Amino acid sequence: MAGSPIDIIIFAPLAPLFGVILFWFIQLLFIESQKYLLSKIRPKHEPLCRFTNFLGILFQTICHALGYTVTKSGISSFYISINYGKVAPKKEKKGIFEWLSNGFLFIGPFFIPASLLLICLYFLMSSGFDASIPGTVIGIEYTFAGQMITFGTNLYTFSEGFFGFLSNIDLLHPAHFGFVLLLIFIGMGIRPSHIGEKKREKVDMLYDLKNIKDNILHKPLYLIILFLMAYVLFYISLLLQQGWYVALFSILGWLSIIAIVSMVITHMILFLIRTTDEIPGYWKFIPYIVIIVSYVVMRLVFFFFPADFTNSTSLLAMILSTLLSVILLLKYKTNKFKTKTPMKSLRKRKIEDETDVPRRIIRE
Amino acid sequence: MYQEELLENETIEKTLSPHPLSFMGLQSLCIFLIVWGVLIGWFANFSEWKDVWFGNYVSIIFAWSIVLLIVGVIASLLTIRWRIFFLYLGVVAGGIGLIFWQNWQDGSGIVIPYYTTLVSIIGFLIVELYRRSHRYIISNQRIIFRGGVLTKQERTLRYDKVSDINSKQGILGQIFGFGTIIPISQSGFGLGSDSSFAAGGVQVGEKKAKFMGIFGGGKEVQTPRARSYYELHGVHPYKDVKKIVERLVQGSVIVPYQQEQVTFQKEQVDIQKQMRDLLKKQTKSDDGETSKE
Repeated sequence: MAGSPIDIIIFAPLAPLFGVILFWFIQLLFIESQKYLLSKIRPKHEPLCRFTNFLGILFQTICHALGYTVTKSGISSFYISINYGKVAPKKEKKGIFEWLSNGFLFIGPFFIPASLLLICLYFLMSSGFDASIPGTVIGIEYTFAGQMITFGTNLYTFSEGFFGFLSNIDLLHPAHFGFVLLLIFIGMGIRPSHIGEKKREKVDMLYDLKNIKDNILHKPLYLIILFLMAYVLFYISLLLQQGWYVALFSILGWLSIIAIVSMVITHMILFLIRTTDEIPGYWKFIPYIVIIVSYVVMRLVFFFFPADFTNSTSLLAMILSTLLSVILLLKYKTNKFKTKTPMKSLRKRKIEDETDVPRRIIRE
Repeated sequence: MYQEELLENETIEKTLSPHPLSFMGLQSLCIFLIVWGVLIGWFANFSEWKDVWFGNYVSIIFAWSIVLLIVGVIASLLTIRWRIFFLYLGVVAGGIGLIFWQNWQDGSGIVIPYYTTLVSIIGFLIVELYRRSHRYIISNQRIIFRGGVLTKQERTLRYDKVSDINSKQGILGQIFGFGTIIPISQSGFGLGSDSSFAAGGVQVGEKKAKFMGIFGGGKEVQTPRARSYYELHGVHPYKDVKKIVERLVQGSVIVPYQQEQVTFQKEQVDIQKQMRDLLKKQTKSDDGETSKE
């Protein structure tokens, strides 16, 4: 076992923890970007925004209810609507139980929806998932660097399998198609915010972070206990030479990766919606038709003329043809690329016209 | 609505029809048919179990029909409408009949998905026809509910006869901004009832003496419910329509102050009548006295 005792005893347990926090921050950034995109398309797509809002609130409320169930507080009322959700406990428990249920409320929405996808992935991914079971990495070093490497290796192995699965996804397979739908729905709903008595119109990243910070600082002793428990788990893993500690945090890292990927896909959809909004009339539906038609046509072609990498080639063809159709529509149906009339000259002409009239009048 | 159908001083505030997604209960039956049709097609033709479980036409037809019937029973029990089960039973019977009539047993893996999809498309069209047959007219004096694909039905409700307004909005309604408003009349039109019944049986004695008893109990709860022709079903924009209806109902109801005024006016009329009678009596007695003189 290489490494100084201080490194092993104090710093090594922090490595996977930092890794998870890093991924969690990336997730937060994506959430903010998604909120921005949603706010941009809101005037034209109010029902879509209401739907995403409902999904977000649904996950939060379920997490909150889960928190009360885990802490055995019971649930006396469960209310959910498209802009507000509330769960009331049967017994108002204080101390660690209150802290735990609040923890579920604030942090649960980041990880619990993604864990649903992880369960689905377990059944769908035939390769890649098994090989990346944490703790199977040979030669774990119980130092800061060693733990970080093990954590990173676990994430890499998982990501390799996950992205391999995504790039070979068969959209004509009912289970795969269902997974993609779930990925999109969950991607739209992953966002935490406080469910309190007061309604809040704007809930941003800082507000979420403030809630989490308040929850931590409210009872710092519990945080210390949690840290101690983490350290104890690390020491047990160290004594038994098992990778349990890093395995636990690797799973949280996987969940973050799944959540980020689902949000990236949602971003692509939201961006497509925002772009097609600029196309006038029924032409805006063409890219959506192209998505379906191009994929089905490619699959039919590969059905009659079998080749390698049919799924990934079809996916790629679908993405490229959609992109091409959007670009062509933007070019020929709008003046987005300023090819019809340059905007600068148009503006100049307008200004000249406006200023010319009074001058002429004055001259006359 | 024709102008000649309007009453005196009647103006139309809003003409409405249900939102396209407001009959999601019926539409979901068709969606399920499509989904199951596509799934059975995939299982029978492309899945890894196609040779193991779906090798012959009997297993394909059996799997297809048993799932449809089970879902039909579950949906019927949940909604307390056995017509869903009979509808699915009809679809199953039609499909099996078609396959055997045309001798398409060997191609059942292809026929069934197409048949199921076709039936669900027809179902969607019927639901859409049914939805479009609804028309609600909100005027300043009454609400007219009209509907019916073949048999035309109409209900007219004056605002002064509305005793209560029930409104509900599901999740889909909240997302798309539609909802259902049930104006309950003083006669109780617009009210339905939920009844539940529980029963248990006991059998005593194994060989000779047998005793059989059934114990049961029922419960009925009144709830606002009406057929979609007699309520403002899935109207959009829900909040605005609700506000209009509530305003019009409120406008036709006498408020306490107005009630006081009416009572006061009645008292005044009574006093005036008494005074008139007294005056009459007095004039009569005066006339009598003058005639005596």
